[in-house]
Amino acid sequence: MASQAYDQPKLRGKRWWREVGWRHIVGIVAIAYCILPLLYVLSASLNPGGSLTGSNQLFRTVAAGNYTELADTNFGQWALNSLVIATVTALGTVLMGAAAAYAFSRFRFTGRRITLTGLLLVQMFPQVLTFVAIFLLLLSLGEVFPILGLNSRLALIAVYLGGALGVNTFLMYGFFNTVPKELDEAAKIDGASHAQIFFTIILRLVAPILAVVGLLSFITAYGEFVIARVVLQSQDNFTLAVGLYQWASDERNAPWGLFAAAAVLAAIPIIALFLFLQRFIVSGLTSGAVKG
Amino acid sequence: MSNRDSAPSGTTRRRGASTDVEPRPNESHARKIGPGFLVKLVLVALVDALGVYGVFAASAVGHWGIVAFLVVALVVVNVVYFSRRMIPAKYLVPGLLFLLVYQLFVMLYTGYVSFTNYGDGHNSTKEDAIEAILLQNDRRVEDSPSLPLVVVRDGDALGFAVIEEDGDVAVGTAEQPLEVVDDAVVEDDTIVEVPGYDVLSFAQVVEVQREITDLRVPLSDDPNEGALRTQNGSVGFISRSFYVYDEAADTMTNTDTGAVYRPNDEGNFVNDEGQELTPGWRVAVGLDNYSAMFTDSRISGSFFQVVAWTFAFAGLSVLTTFGVGLFFAIVFNDPRIRGRKVYRSLLILPYAFPGFLAALVWRGMLNERFGFINEVLLGGASVPWLSDEWLARFSVLFVNTWLGFPYMFLICTGALQSIPGDVIESARMDGAGPLRIFRSMTLPLLLVSTAPLLISTFAFNFNNFTLIYMLTGGGPNFPDAPIPVGATDILISMVYSIAFEGGSRDYGLASAMSIMIFIVVGFISYLGFRRTRTLEEI
Amino acid sequence: MTMRRSITIAAAAGLTLTLAACGGGDGGSEPTTDAQETTDSATGGATEGGELTGTLTIWADETRVDLVEDISAEFTAETGVEVEVVQKASADIGTEFITAVPSGEGPDIIVSAHDGLGGWVTNGVVGTVELGDTAEEFSPAALAGVTYDGQVYGVPYAIENIALVRNNELVSETPATWDELVAQATGLGTEYSVLVQQDPAASDPYHLYPLQTSFGAPVFAQSADGSYTSELAMGGEQGVAFAEFLAAQGAAGVLDVNITADVAKEAFLAGESAYMVTGPWNVTEFVDAGLDVSVLPVPTAGGEEAQPFVGVQGFFPNIDSENALLVNEFLVNFIATPDVQTQLFELGGRVPAMTEVAEGLDDPILEGFNEAGATGVPMPAIPEMSAVWEFWGAAEVDIITGNAPAAERWTTMVENVEAAIAAN
Repeated sequence: MASQAYDQPKLRGKRWWREVGWRHIVGIVAIAYCILPLLYVLSASLNPGGSLTGSNQLFRTVAAGNYTELADTNFGQWALNSLVIATVTALGTVLMGAAAAYAFSRFRFTGRRITLTGLLLVQMFPQVLTFVAIFLLLLSLGEVFPILGLNSRLALIAVYLGGALGVNTFLMYGFFNTVPKELDEAAKIDGASHAQIFFTIILRLVAPILAVVGLLSFITAYGEFVIARVVLQSQDNFTLAVGLYQWASDERNAPWGLFAAAAVLAAIPIIALFLFLQRFIVSGLTSGAVKG
Repeated sequence: MSNRDSAPSGTTRRRGASTDVEPRPNESHARKIGPGFLVKLVLVALVDALGVYGVFAASAVGHWGIVAFLVVALVVVNVVYFSRRMIPAKYLVPGLLFLLVYQLFVMLYTGYVSFTNYGDGHNSTKEDAIEAILLQNDRRVEDSPSLPLVVVRDGDALGFAVIEEDGDVAVGTAEQPLEVVDDAVVEDDTIVEVPGYDVLSFAQVVEVQREITDLRVPLSDDPNEGALRTQNGSVGFISRSFYVYDEAADTMTNTDTGAVYRPNDEGNFVNDEGQELTPGWRVAVGLDNYSAMFTDSRISGSFFQVVAWTFAFAGLSVLTTFGVGLFFAIVFNDPRIRGRKVYRSLLILPYAFPGFLAALVWRGMLNERFGFINEVLLGGASVPWLSDEWLARFSVLFVNTWLGFPYMFLICTGALQSIPGDVIESARMDGAGPLRIFRSMTLPLLLVSTAPLLISTFAFNFNNFTLIYMLTGGGPNFPDAPIPVGATDILISMVYSIAFEGGSRDYGLASAMSIMIFIVVGFISYLGFRRTRTLEEI
Repeated sequence: MTMRRSITIAAAAGLTLTLAACGGGDGGSEPTTDAQETTDSATGGATEGGELTGTLTIWADETRVDLVEDISAEFTAETGVEVEVVQKASADIGTEFITAVPSGEGPDIIVSAHDGLGGWVTNGVVGTVELGDTAEEFSPAALAGVTYDGQVYGVPYAIENIALVRNNELVSETPATWDELVAQATGLGTEYSVLVQQDPAASDPYHLYPLQTSFGAPVFAQSADGSYTSELAMGGEQGVAFAEFLAAQGAAGVLDVNITADVAKEAFLAGESAYMVTGPWNVTEFVDAGLDVSVLPVPTAGGEEAQPFVGVQGFFPNIDSENALLVNEFLVNFIATPDVQTQLFELGGRVPAMTEVAEGLDDPILEGFNEAGATGVPMPAIPEMSAVWEFWGAAEVDIITGNAPAAERWTTMVENVEAAIAAN
């Protein structure tokens, strides 16, 4: 459907407004809705010593002081930690989730339905109160595998991967089902193994959903702080979310300017990632594959 | 992983939910070694090595639970990956292992905690509680001197040798009260030799520092006279504990009043008059935490209001985020729009921001007097966004929509792509208008793939503690409620304030409540899944 | 008496130096020779056998972490004992301590304000400190802060309280009562008369407390020795009088729950008010911004003395520390010495806890806070306190905004708090 649109002659006048133009109006309103609070943060980040909520004159002062000051903090280390943790988590989630979705979509086995239901229900446990259990679990694990104990970034990734099969699996499962089974049947007749079908055929066909799930789990891991706060204990290991939370909870010194600058910078990887993945998310690989 | 492995899976699928019985290929595994098999071999070997290491390490520290789990996990992994059956399991095992350890175990543990009185005042083991009671009530005898001291050892028993105020040297251990010895050698006010004992060097003292600071050498057989103790290994002083623990009888006795405290079922030492000593310790309390939820009058007062709002909030949040997200997804799914990428990237911005920060910013912007919304957008109006009961509820939903629609936008954008273009195209050819296409084709197709996510979103918002806590703190509070609970409180935030902010933290009660919440939301979601036929379809 | 004291000090010096020797200290400091001989002869092969590899772990929140790191580096230089300082969020540090200690993961020492002490004692996670004669060197308020139920649990280093801060460019004389103050400040024609930070959901009982006590309505009754009982004392006539006062101030626009901490700070910095009730944490910023400020006691509103809460900052040991001797060495022979207390003051900029150091103050701002805090009362450290804050703040919001009749709302609040305390 995408390709046809480009072939059409350029729309003009009323018709353009009716079919396309109004979308720009919606877009502008939507963007205003989206970025107003963020402009507020941006304004605070450019206001040295400023507060987050104290001033309504946006961009009253513009100075890069807060940004240069970040260099003296652990911001760089935190950002690196966040990127590594979120990337590994996203990759792990995509791989394990896709594998599970493949199994659910292409095989019928005992306990399949109950596993699927169970996966969904397990995710509904209220996370807020599990920190005690996670703390004690990592405490014991750390005595056996020190690298999986408290204050380890790898341990945090492992905890996040515990949620790899969940909502995301369902998202992918639905998508896998839209890939015609005739494709794998054909490949099978050609002598491909289930692993070959999975890695070389299916994964390529479902690339859009892999991109979406990858992005979603990256964002989730990147912004998560309730569990990270329990697991990571030293400054060097903090993620951005934990570090920023700590700044935000500093009620007395309230380094809002610094905080806002960090938050602005922290949002950049997400936007970059989205721009990068947009091609996959939006390119409509599936429909092309069906035709080809 | 040989080619033959997968051959029958197509047929098994047609047989429905039966076990994956496969015809056995004639060739054995080993004869067909492809690169895939090698990769598998290396990976499984790595897992095995780690697992075996773990078994030994866990045995060494006595974590038998971990040992048992690792052994079972190793067997399962090896069987699954070297068997030519169980193909689905090959794809499920890695994720399931993580799920088992980091989610199921955590849930079970929370369930276990809900049957204990774990919380403030019952924070640790009985041994710790006894130690704390003894230490907290162990005071230096007033005007007692500081005495130069060395640590000595007689076999396994540690003791102190001390220069008393009159210059005599006395020595004793925990079992043996201080006794003056005549032939000790003292140089420069420091004891260097005590017959019958080894004098410990400072390095040796540091090695056993815990024992030394815990050590009490009684002055005489009468415990009321006090005991010699040290905090630094070189200076001693006389201190006296008001409590004595009798191990055989398992009682605490107050040496001043003579009152005897016995352990009770709630994990406290208590005397005949019912006075308790703190701290207590963790004990199993059965269903007490669960029954407290229904009998505590403080909870039941506002309970139904909170429950109603929790459902309304979770349900409406799904509607608004999905509605807005879907709307934008459709609007920007038209390839003729210039700058589509820019629009799309900006629309996910709210999602790219840490949620707790966004809630804080919104709180500032919604401030009645100084907030950006009132002061700038509404030209100085004073709308009580967060302090009026209904406006506060509206604000919570409004902010949650802002936070949550990009997720739906992403999902819907992805899902829209998966709807085959030719289906829509043929509908258009048949003369269906855009609204009609949306209602009878796009939306149903979208719902098929997103229904489970909508239910998950419902469940997520049902427990969306961070938003409520950061934005309104549950307020505005009901003035008359006997607990701090307010108009925007949802169940989980009410649990939080009862279990953690009401003076003492009660993990047992909090765990019991989260189990109950889980059962409620799980049950509703289960019904939801059934209703949307997702379960029937799979 | 003097004799005993000298022994203590000699022995303590001996220990310190042994530690230094073991840790490979260079022994360049002056008393080395003398004491070195003593310890060497006394402990024989002690130093040969002992590689002292102890590491102390200290938790501190974001407001104190730099200070603790600096002072710990000094301790390491002196003794060779490594110190690892771990930063924790101020909101969680106390409760995390309670969770971590029984699991064996707790720090050796926690640096914190004293108001969590009661909870730590009730949970049996904090160890005791025997200060000996050093105890007398601390100000009574500081010592009271680290004492619970007659037992000393930590070493204080600073005390902190709020006061009235005046912008001298706007006004230079300050009347003795709140009403006169408001009248004077209103006459100045600034945007705000007196800034008292608030929160739209939780008011701010801490910042309003001097005004409340000036009506004779302290939160908890104090027993004869000054320690708090769990008996609520803010009900009754005095409490109602204070509630009526709040309502009147709210109606007059003096108190406004929308003036949050950062709004208040910005407004004062911008010269929009001559007065602000706040603590030393903000005043540093005011001075840095070039404001000429004086720090004064909060004037009375109800006729009695306005008593702010005094918070005591201290170092508290873990009851379960594996390094009990090192912890004691750090607390008693390092932190509780005038030199280190002076350094802590220089690094932290708070009123010192040690009398001798406090007397040497020549900073008019800190002197002002010290004076305002002289009448103050220790912040209650009893666990019941945490039940009070939320009810208290919510009631004050309703009263200031006029959402509820003052007397009635205040009485309901007191009843609710009493019920909550009883339920625990």
